[in-house]
Order: sequence, then C-alpha cells, then structure tokens
Amino acid sequence: MIEIRGLRKAFGSLAVLRDIDVDIADGEVMALIGRSGCGKTTLLRCINFLEEYDAGEIRLDGQPLWYRPGADSRRRRVPDQEARRMRQQMGIVFQQYNLFPHMTALENVSLGPRFSQKVAAAEAEDLGRSLLARVGLSDKVDAYPAHLSGGQQQRVAIARALAMRPKVLLLDEITSALDPELVGEVEDVIRSLLSEPIMMVLVTHALGFAREVAHRIAYIADGRIAEIGTPAEILEQPSDPTLKDFLRRIR
Amino acid sequence: MDTPTFLLLLKGAGVSLLLALAAIACGTLLATALAALAFSRLALVRTFYRLYIYLIRGTPLLVLALLIFYALPALDLRTGPYLAGALVLTLYVGALFAEVFRGAVLAIPRPQWESARSLGLPPLAMLRKVIGPLVVRYALPPYVNVCVMTVKASSVLSIISVWELTFAAREIIERTLAVFTVLGIAAGIYFVICFGLDRVGRRVEHHLMLKGFVGEHV
Repeated sequence: MIEIRGLRKAFGSLAVLRDIDVDIADGEVMALIGRSGCGKTTLLRCINFLEEYDAGEIRLDGQPLWYRPGADSRRRRVPDQEARRMRQQMGIVFQQYNLFPHMTALENVSLGPRFSQKVAAAEAEDLGRSLLARVGLSDKVDAYPAHLSGGQQQRVAIARALAMRPKVLLLDEITSALDPELVGEVEDVIRSLLSEPIMMVLVTHALGFAREVAHRIAYIADGRIAEIGTPAEILEQPSDPTLKDFLRRIR
Repeated sequence: MDTPTFLLLLKGAGVSLLLALAAIACGTLLATALAALAFSRLALVRTFYRLYIYLIRGTPLLVLALLIFYALPALDLRTGPYLAGALVLTLYVGALFAEVFRGAVLAIPRPQWESARSLGLPPLAMLRKVIGPLVVRYALPPYVNVCVMTVKASSVLSIISVWELTFAAREIIERTLAVFTVLGIAAGIYFVICFGLDRVGRRVEHHLMLKGFVGEHV
C-alpha cells in the first residue's frame, strides 16, 4: 500500500500541494480529479519523485521513499542509486506517451528490464513481446513510435511501464491527448489490468471511466483533498460546493 | 592549366582535407569532453567552459593561428606548422562543436529525460541508450555545418606556412599570374569537398530517419 502523509509542495511562493494525506490500498484503483492547476498531476509526479516535495512522507509497503532524516533534523534525498531502485517499483504513463523515438516498440518496452533490472537480453525481449501482445500490439513489435497511432503509442507506453513489474501504476491523463476514437483501446488495456493485484493512481478528466474503474475518487482543490469517497459518493452525492460546481461544468 | 599544376592543387586539397578531418575528429572528442563540463554540477567547471567558448569564439581564427604558431616555439615546443595548424583548428572547431552538442542536449524534450528516469535507468545506460542517440540526431545538421566550415577555415592556416590548397594556389599564381583560373579551380575544389561532406551528413540523417526519427527529407 501507499501511505502519503502531510505532503506539501510549492513552486516558489505558489503552494501547489498543502498537506495531502491519503492511503492507497493494495490492488486499489484511485482516481484523482479536479480543475486544471489544482495539483493532481503534481501529486502523481511527487509519488515517483519526478517532482521533489517540500515536506511530508510517502511510504510504499511501509518503506519510506525519496527522503531520509538527516543528522541535523533536515531531511536528505536518498542516494541516486536507491532512488532508482525505488522508481523501479512504480511505472508511470504520461499524457503525451513520451516513447523513445529512436527505439522500436519492443526496444522501448525491453529497455527498463534490460538495463535497470539487468535481465538477460533474450529474457527482456520475451517479456517485451508478451507485454506488447497483452496490449494488442503483437504485429507492431518492430515499429517505431513515429509509425504508430496515438492510441498504439500509448499502449506501448503502458507496456513499457508494466515491464518493470511495478507495484503501482501511475497514469497521468493518459487519454487526454488522444483522438476520441482512440480512447477506447487505451481504456480497454486499463480495464484488462483490473484483475491484477496492482495499485493504480490515475489523474483524469474522464469521469465516466473513473467511475467505472476506480474504487475511490479523490477530488483535489487548491492543493488539498477536498473530498474523497467511492465514485457513487463523489459523483452523485458531492457535499463540497466547489466539487458540485466542478461536476456541473464538466458534464 | 596544365596537368602537373592541377595535380599540385589536388595535392594541396589532400592536405586541406586531411587537416580538416583531423581537426573534426579531435575537435569532436574535445567537444564531447567540453560539453560534459557545461553540464557539471560545479559552478567553477561551468565557468571554465564558458570562458573557453568565449575566448575561442571571440577570437578570429587567423589571430588564433598566428598566436599559437608563435607561442609554441616560445614555450619550447617545436611542432612545425602542420601540427600547430591542426592544433589551432582543433581548438577552434572544438568550441563550435561543444556548443552544438550543448544545444542538442538542451533540445531533448524534458519528457524524454523523465521517461528515462522513471524507468530507473542507471546513468551510463541512460546516456548510451537514450540521451546519446537523441543528441546525435539533434546535433547532426549543425554538426555538418561546422564540418563544412572547418574545411574552408583550414585555408587560413596558409598564413602560418601550412602548405595546403590555398597556399598551393598562391604559389602557382605567383608563378603563372593566372589569378582567376587558379583561384576559380581552388574554389571549385573546396566546393566539391564541402558538397561531399554535406552529402554524407544527409545520408546519415536519412538513415536516422528510417530508424524512427520523424523529419522531412530535404
């Protein structure tokens, strides 16, 4: 499970996250919703330390991530090597896919296992092939990203994240950049993962999809979790006035 | 122009090409090291990088060539004009290449770094598999540009008595007074070399494009 306690983050004088406390249980799917600029993507990026944070603690299965208390009561970043090991327990998928353009789909997927986890080349390749098959891209193994549609690229990106066998999958608005007719194929891949014991945190504006796949939805406003609950609670009986307003606007 | 004269020019062109290629090869190595300094965590190291670039880029190659040509013997290093010439050219294009590489690193979209980091790639693998290939792709057009410039810049070395194409041309002109014919042919030879380099650059670019980089084939 993931435990987040007192997470705070500011960009200069702008407080983006103010005191985030939340737990994500094993196998839980948690959706983060809120207005743009509310801090939901920053929260997601803090979890795998693409963003440093100013205070607070993140634990994964009890293990504190990213910072250690220093001798002089100031915290220190964990050494790079340790941070890399921690990152390997999580996968992230970005809005813009961000595949490596100079590598084939297979090379993109096998890269992490091959060089981060030092898996033998043949084994990494087998893993890559099976993951690409899993996201329905067996026939695109040797294709470069430039020759794939957005939906296909995003499915490769999901396979790439899964290749590390992560405990947590972080999904940052993964269908926002896609043409409407390509959204379904990416959502299907996520649906197919629901039977796995993997935690997922997804930042999304697709409320229908969040309702379908998430166990809980957290509504973030002004850097805080303003309301959290089951999809039914959040989407049908919202109590926070800004959430009511947000839902009205987005529908 | 008779055949022996033309062959003499070609011989000069060979020296020019050799000097340029040596400077390109050594300059590329130098620039790789320099560009690494540009991204050092230590401010002092970054300052050294900037100083080197300002100094070299802010000095005419001609002045630099004379300076080093006269400075080396003063330092008791008797290198002769060819080694001195190659050294000057290397120092000069090294600075230009370094800026090309630095620009290429800066051009790598931040999400590419983040993707590599999120996979927990160790630094060496990240450099070899992700950053390096992207730098090559982004650097290639301006790199070829500097290569072509290097060939032409090598003509400056005639001033420190390096016998190359321009030197040979002047020698022949003094003998024959056929100013326009000789200079015209020399210019033509320079053009052919530069054109050839450009073609090689385009071939490599095209090859990289087949390997997944999008871009227009020009």
